[in-house]
Amino acid sequence: MLLGRVVGRLWAARQAESLGGRKLLLVRPETASGESARLVVAVDGLDAGPGDRVIVAHGSRVRDLTVGPEVADKDVVIGIVDGSELAR
Amino acid sequence: MILGRVVGQVWATRRDPRLARTKLLVVRPHGFYEPPLGTRHLVATDEVHAGIGDEVVVCLGKPARESLGSNDTPVDAAILGVVDRVDLDEERLSPAGAAPGIRRPLAAAVVSAGRR
Repeated sequence: MLLGRVVGRLWAARQAESLGGRKLLLVRPETASGESARLVVAVDGLDAGPGDRVIVAHGSRVRDLTVGPEVADKDVVIGIVDGSELAR
Repeated sequence: MILGRVVGQVWATRRDPRLARTKLLVVRPHGFYEPPLGTRHLVATDEVHAGIGDEVVVCLGKPARESLGSNDTPVDAAILGVVDRVDLDEERLSPAGAAPGIRRPLAAAVVSAGRR
């Protein structure tokens, strides 16, 4: 899993049926030195919003178990972080 | 499997219900594995009571889920063991091409782990 911060929400008027109007979040993964440049588009398995720190799990099995096998995204938010202890 | 050091812990009240009793630790992998997207660390479940500063082995994917009892927990990484000692033959280590993802030499990091 990766730790990241939700930096925005993504809307797409025209989208594949397999995304089925799912709520999509832009997540910026955290790195030890700050934040990484690459964003992940994750499906919201809970009810996260911009500003939340989240845990994102990856994989088709994770997707099947959480948002359903029909969804065409393999990154899913599985936790909203409310505390952490990090020794850098 | 990945060798790394536990550098932190995260708490999440709102989480997938199948993770309700799972401890989540932040692991910084040693040299030979680079987490995706340049994150430099990953979040893994902990069933072996590891703590911050421990050297651990982490596995990814299906075996990680199965370590929690079944394949039905939505996670992709789990700590499977706390490392007591690592023996390394530095001459045989070839960081340049031993496996995909090898970028940095791991000898220095792992040797210090072995002395713990």
